[in-house]
Order: sequence, then structure tokens, then C-alpha cells
Amino acid sequence: MGLVAGLASVERKGFLQAMLSRPISLATIVGLSLGDVAGGLYVAVPLELLWLGAVNLGAALPVHEALGTAAIAGATVLAAQSLRGMGLSEPALLPAVATLAVILCAPLALLGRRADRLAERWNERLYVRAERELAAGNAAAAARVNLYGLALPFAVGFVLAPLGAWVAVLVVPLAIEQAPGALPALALGWVAFAAFACASGAKAMRAVRASTFYFGAIGVGLCLVLATALASGRS
Amino acid sequence: MPFPFSAKVPAATLARCFWRSLFLQAAWNRRGMQNLGFAYAIDPALRALYPDPARRRDALGRHLGFFNCHPYTAAAILGGAIHHEERVAAGVEASGAPLAYKATLQGPLAAIGDGFFWTALRPFFGALAALGALLFGWPAVVVVLTIYNAIHLALRIGLFRTGYRQGDAVVGAIAGLCLPVLAERLRLGGAALCGLSAAVIAARADLLMRAGAVLVAVLAAGLGYLALARGARLLPTIYAAILAGTGAALAASRFHGSL
Repeated sequence: MGLVAGLASVERKGFLQAMLSRPISLATIVGLSLGDVAGGLYVAVPLELLWLGAVNLGAALPVHEALGTAAIAGATVLAAQSLRGMGLSEPALLPAVATLAVILCAPLALLGRRADRLAERWNERLYVRAERELAAGNAAAAARVNLYGLALPFAVGFVLAPLGAWVAVLVVPLAIEQAPGALPALALGWVAFAAFACASGAKAMRAVRASTFYFGAIGVGLCLVLATALASGRS
Repeated sequence: MPFPFSAKVPAATLARCFWRSLFLQAAWNRRGMQNLGFAYAIDPALRALYPDPARRRDALGRHLGFFNCHPYTAAAILGGAIHHEERVAAGVEASGAPLAYKATLQGPLAAIGDGFFWTALRPFFGALAALGALLFGWPAVVVVLTIYNAIHLALRIGLFRTGYRQGDAVVGAIAGLCLPVLAERLRLGGAALCGLSAAVIAARADLLMRAGAVLVAVLAAGLGYLALARGARLLPTIYAAILAGTGAALAASRFHGSL
């Protein structure tokens, strides 16, 4: 999981940027690496929508959505596996665990932004090093310095994401064991979170008429669901 | 010898430069921004154009200056800078020409790249992948990401080639793509996809729980948007949404026995 989170932290800015570090891919890959693709995908959808606006515009730094995603997905999958091992298997389990994972691990996305600032300051030293290499007549070494900038983002993802997930895996099963009756309430908390994530995604679209299209689509979608339910009820 | 053996960069070296351009932001820093990445990307071309170590060093030194652009559209500038370096190496242009080219284009292409790729194309495909995953599972994510990367890599390679072949004329080629118009449509489409996702989440909540869950989902989707539109910060609003959902369930179970 540390390796996946580290590579995602690199792909996010330093190399390629092909959406492989976006929550929709990363959470699924984390789930796959931990043996539960469905669990990863379960959190991938709302996290993608939640952080749809996390983009690197100019010198502005967005939250580190990859770090938050890796920790939340890892915590959800591992804590759910642990609770299933204890004999809990009701439908509300996964959403309840995911809710607690978001509560505990979402702030990691903000911590990751601080780490990004640190990396930018570190990279200024690399700039000085490149100038020094060039002045010494070593053009190839001066050009190669660029790649050293990949190390710190990798380390941030490699260390912090498993650490966050580990803390959550300790806390979440303990909390649910203490109050198993809270599972349905926490599951509804997940529904509210996932629906709010859709709002966050629509807001990130930065278009004047985005609200019209968003609310219109909710209305159309609910009508379609209702019509489908009525049609299946008749048949 | 005043000029190099060849003032043309071989195709394999151009491919290597393009590959290296994928690392453009590896050492992003506040002083030079993408300067280290740009120097790293253009270095194979400079090596081919300037066999004389002193001239290569000078050429690399000028590309270590400030540079900042969108990582995708920067491919056009890299191609164009190689085009100009070929002319510098052949003695047709002054050594400042590649820098003037970079300085002129980096701002406009950054604005186009941010406006199209970061705030339109990628969010649209993110929303499409999310809705696809809700309806069809992980295969939809694979399909959507494949399409996104086919588009993104085709544009990146195309911009690099156009920049290299046409130099300054790359501006006209990019203007012909009408990206701002397309971006606005993608943003509206993305907002609609988010709305459809909210409807699917509400419908699933009904299947998993009781009818009251649909109301909670619709309220969270609607009030959440209004709160964000009024400047609410994301993280506190996440906690507020979770608290509201959990609280609604607890209150309902207390007063009615179930939701």
C-alpha cells in the first residue's frame, strides 16, 4: 500500500499525470492491492467527486487528494476485513467503516499540501545544485538533478498514507465493537457524505450555469429512478 | 568549427525529449518553477545539436532559467524550443531566440492548458468515471481512463510535433482547436454528471436503507452545493454532512424506532 501511495504521489505532479493518482483509480488500485477491489471502488466514487476541484493551477497548491484517498481506501478495506473476521457482516458495515475512515483520514489531504510546500522548498536546493553542476562543466549531471525531485513526494506517500490507514485500522474496529448499534446511523452518514461529494464535484466545474445543470440532472435522475421503479412494480 | 555536424535533431532523440517532458514537474520549485524539468527534457536535443561541450553547456544554461506552463501544453513549447535551437545551432538565429519563444508562449499556453485540461477535461472524465463506476463497476473506470489518456496523450504528442515542425505557427494550430468553447461544454456536462451521480446515490440509499435516506441524500446534495457556493470550506462541510446524516438517523430511530 505504501508503494502504491508513493507512486501515486509521484504520478500526481512529478510524472505523467494520467489520472492514475486520482481517487477513482487510486482507491480502486489500493483495494486491489489489499484484496478487495469492491471495497476500494466503494470509496473511490465519492472521493473522486469530492476532490474533483483539487487541481494544480499555476503556483497554487491543492489539497493532496492522493494521500487522503490512499489512507481512506486502505483504512476502509483493512478495517472492514478485520470486522468481518470478527463475525460482523451486515450491509451497513462497509458504509459505516468508510464514514469513520473519512472522519479520521481526510485531514491527511491537508497535511499532504504542507508536505508539497516542503518539497517545493527542497527543490530550490536542487536548482542550486543544478547550477553548481553546470558551472563545474557537468551538463549531464545538471540535467539529471530534475529526477531527484521525485524522491520526497514518493517518501511522503510511502510513509504517511499507510500511517494514516494504520491509525484508522486501530481505532475503527474498536469504535464499532463498542457501539455496534451505531452502524445504521454511520451508514446514513456515508450516504450524506457521498451526496455532498456530488455537490462538491459540481461546484468544482467553475461554470456559470453549472448549478442549473447540476440540480436539473438530480431532478431528471430521480424521475428516471422513480419511473424505473414504477415500471418494474407493474411488471 | 563554428557549426555542429548536423543542425537536425534525430527522430529517436525527439522521442527521448518527449518522454523526458513527462517529468516536467519532477522538481517544481518556487524560484524557477519547471525550469529543471524543461532543461532535463531538452538536454538530449542539445547534446545532438552541440557536440562542443562549451556550447552545449551554454545552451543548457539558458534553459535553466524560469519556466512555467501547463504540463500538457508545455510539450508544444518544448517542440518549438528544439525547432529554434536547431536554427541557433545552424547559425540562422541568435541564441536568445529560443528563450524569447518560451517567454512569449508560456503564459498563454498555461492559461489554455489550465482552462481546458485541469478545469474541464479532467474533471469531466473524473465525473464520468464516477458515474460509470456507480452503474457498471470497475470496468467503466478502465474504459473512461483509457479514453481520457488516448485524448490527453494524442494532444500532448500532437502539440510537441506541431511545435517542433511549425515553431511560432503553433499558436494558430492551438487556436484552431477551439478549446475554450469545448471547455465550457465539458464543465456543464460534468456538472450534469455530478447531479446524475447524486440521484443514483439517493436511489441506492433507498435500496439499502429506508425511504428517509433518499431525503437525506437529496438534502445533502442540494444544501451542500449551496453551502459551497456561499464560500463554505470543504473539510468542515464534509464533517457537517456526515454529522447531519448520522444525527438524522439517530434522531429518527429515537422518535420513530427506525428511519
